[in-house]
Amino acid sequence: MSADQFVQYLISGLTQGSIYALVGLGFTIIYAVTRIINFAQGEFVMLGGMLSFTLAISAGLHLVPALLLSVLIATAMGAIMYLLAIRTAKRASAVSLIILTIGAAIFIRGIAGELWGVDFVRPPFFTGRESISFLGAYIHPQALWIIGTTIVVTILLHLFLSYTMVGKALKACAISPRAAGLVGIDAKAMALIAFAIAAALGAIGGVVMAPLTLTAYNVGVMLGLKGFVAASIGGFKNPLATVAGGIVLGIVESLAVGVDWGPFTSSYKDAIALVVLLLILILRSGRLAAEERES
Amino acid sequence: MSEVILETRGLTKVFGGLVALDKVDLSTEAGKISAIIGPNGAGKTTLFNLITGVYPASEGEIYFRGTPLRNTPAHKRAELGIVRTFQQVHLFGNMTVLENVMTGQHPRSKYGFLEAALRLPKAHREEEAISLKAMKYLNLVGLGMHAEQDALSLPLGQQKLLAIARALATEPQLLLLDEPGAGLNTLEKQELSDLIRRIREAGTTVLLVEHDMPLVMGLAEWVTVLDSGQKIAEGTAAQIQRDQRVISAYLGEEVE
Amino acid sequence: MLAKIKSKWTYLAIAALLVFLILVPFDWFLGQYKGLAIFIGISTMVTVGLCLLMGYTGQVSLGQAAFYGLGAYFSAVLSKTYDVNPWLAMLIAAIATGGFAYVIGYPIFRLRGNYLAMATLGLGLIMWILFRQLSQFTGGPDGMAGIPYLSIGSFVFDTSFKRYFLVWFFCLAILLISQNIVQSRTGRALRAIHGSEAAAESIGINVAQFKVKIFVLSAVYASLAGSLFVHHLRFVSPQPFDFLASVKLVVMAVIGGLASVWGAIFGAGTTRILSDELLLSFGEWDIAIYGLILMLVMIFTPEGLFVKLKDVFGRLRLRHSERGAES
Repeated sequence: MSADQFVQYLISGLTQGSIYALVGLGFTIIYAVTRIINFAQGEFVMLGGMLSFTLAISAGLHLVPALLLSVLIATAMGAIMYLLAIRTAKRASAVSLIILTIGAAIFIRGIAGELWGVDFVRPPFFTGRESISFLGAYIHPQALWIIGTTIVVTILLHLFLSYTMVGKALKACAISPRAAGLVGIDAKAMALIAFAIAAALGAIGGVVMAPLTLTAYNVGVMLGLKGFVAASIGGFKNPLATVAGGIVLGIVESLAVGVDWGPFTSSYKDAIALVVLLLILILRSGRLAAEERES
Repeated sequence: MSEVILETRGLTKVFGGLVALDKVDLSTEAGKISAIIGPNGAGKTTLFNLITGVYPASEGEIYFRGTPLRNTPAHKRAELGIVRTFQQVHLFGNMTVLENVMTGQHPRSKYGFLEAALRLPKAHREEEAISLKAMKYLNLVGLGMHAEQDALSLPLGQQKLLAIARALATEPQLLLLDEPGAGLNTLEKQELSDLIRRIREAGTTVLLVEHDMPLVMGLAEWVTVLDSGQKIAEGTAAQIQRDQRVISAYLGEEVE
Repeated sequence: MLAKIKSKWTYLAIAALLVFLILVPFDWFLGQYKGLAIFIGISTMVTVGLCLLMGYTGQVSLGQAAFYGLGAYFSAVLSKTYDVNPWLAMLIAAIATGGFAYVIGYPIFRLRGNYLAMATLGLGLIMWILFRQLSQFTGGPDGMAGIPYLSIGSFVFDTSFKRYFLVWFFCLAILLISQNIVQSRTGRALRAIHGSEAAAESIGINVAQFKVKIFVLSAVYASLAGSLFVHHLRFVSPQPFDFLASVKLVVMAVIGGLASVWGAIFGAGTTRILSDELLLSFGEWDIAIYGLILMLVMIFTPEGLFVKLKDVFGRLRLRHSERGAES
């Protein structure tokens, strides 16, 4: 691999990884506040992209309102999902909750498949389509949007969690739900907010990525899985580690494709993330189990 | 001549920044009823958790009959003969009363997957034996007539007795009872005391954690007192009751 | 929970079921649905394993189709490409799949709940990718045809009628074995794990080992089902082993009742009928309906639809008999 190629793969990895980071942040927020793994997280990414396509192209809205509306709708759906499904399942065991969120994911995907069909769609690029030359490689302006949005969102999230009342309340729930309850924080309201934020994060990722990577009704599963890997790297607690994890995953995937040795062709790209996932889970399993017992 | 069945040396457990147990040395004689008392948060349940292997110690050693338990997993300790009950009972809610006790026979029975899957005669024979023994323990705690009821249909006092019967079914050498008297009325506590004495008569060593002073003082032949993770006194019930350090440790607490 | 009504009703129900099953493939009865019935039997085999796994050890597997596919592909490749006796191939497949489950089981089962679900999801996807990519062995996305029939001596299972009985023989055998296990010391240990892992551990049950054992058992069941599947269709491709297939299996288990053995027939039956007959005309809506079923069942009857129906039926009978006693 030449230096130019290396930079190219690095850039595409950084771009992909940013998306994984956003998805991962969604997982992290919901898990930290509610201890639930939301298997439908990837579907909100899908929805963001699909909605932006419909609003910007089919409905002919201007780009900015189309994007905002897409994120808003997806966020609302996240909130609805929490209220209708999760909140109503009263004595839900861990198994039930997992199956519940999987059911929600499948449901959303099915509806999307019916409404939008099975083909890929492409919403319009934010700014132009000419790649920019950078360090011997080419970077697409949309890729810059993706990376930039991720950076901005991460910073905003950090500020929100650290400096606003709601944000601090969320953090309190993450540290100890019981203690948070004792100081008057409403766990259910916090859970609702967490779900809404996670849906928003996913949708933002979807909206910003769809023009570049295209999107279809079934992209949710893989994206969700990879976001989960990112979140695992962050231990489901640390947003910065999650973002770092997502980016590392994206770069590793990209380079692995580029290296292209032996029987491993680019079709195995997805498998990489999965293998990484299993490795992380297995390596961490000892510590995770011990932590569970001590609580 | 009494053997030391359980011994801890310098046992320490730290959770994050909190020192739950601080270099505790404990020595329990076989065949006796011993108790561990102390104000709330003294580390009594943590001690039990370390002895039974729920989580590992941060420092120190635990010896059962002279053998160190350091790397022995929890289920193996039960096989060796160290069995406990829980403060929150933890019955198997998806089974009947009798089935709960029969499950206690698990480490003492042998037939496995294959014999079960194919319904071999060995499985039948062992099931018979398990069933009979379970009934015996159930009758020992006085719950025999409730055998076929759902475990969770029993009132709390009887649930605690069921948990003890289940523990007894493992044929333990050392029985650890975690607050067996909590939530019981006076009559039930009296029956509990009698039961614990009968268990001791049968040769099982009993180590209990309790808050109820009259219960402990009436039963225990040896008492260890913990406060904030440290051992502050030990002796016979009479000695402990007069110990100044113990009294002042409890002054912030309601002494019954 | 109701006290067990160990009754002649249970025996009656099972007898009726057996008679029904024997009569199904005859043309004057439900013969036109033999094919569907074969698939229901095969699905039931996989579902039972999943029910035991999810219901007793509380572990969700979102990739059970991986084991189903492994059994299918092992059987297909061994019997077609390497001319191995199909029965032997089936046995090897079951051992290999079980062994694989064992190897990945121990590390995975140290994980809890959510992590485990994701791990199995990932596993299922990896296997599906491998099925598609290793085309020298598997025939790639287009699959492999020409897989031989199973036969005993000169008796070849070359008609749906014959294969129906073969499949249901295996299916019932597995159900009986599972029932025996559940009612045994092992079953109690499993129920104990489900009831309280801490308490189970405290009375000497090696929780991790049991979880792995059940995982392996469920993998073996799925492998056998996969083998029977390819000897029925004489064709194998990656398509029936994708993520959606794993989801459908969860739907079957959930409808049948997570800790129920015989409920698996109900779960597999209703789901198959739904997917193969009723929903064909619905396009992508079928996915949405599965999702809806999962959500509704988990919200309203998390113990499983079949189990709930049994409960309701039992309660009605109890009330009926009480009234009968009063009059």
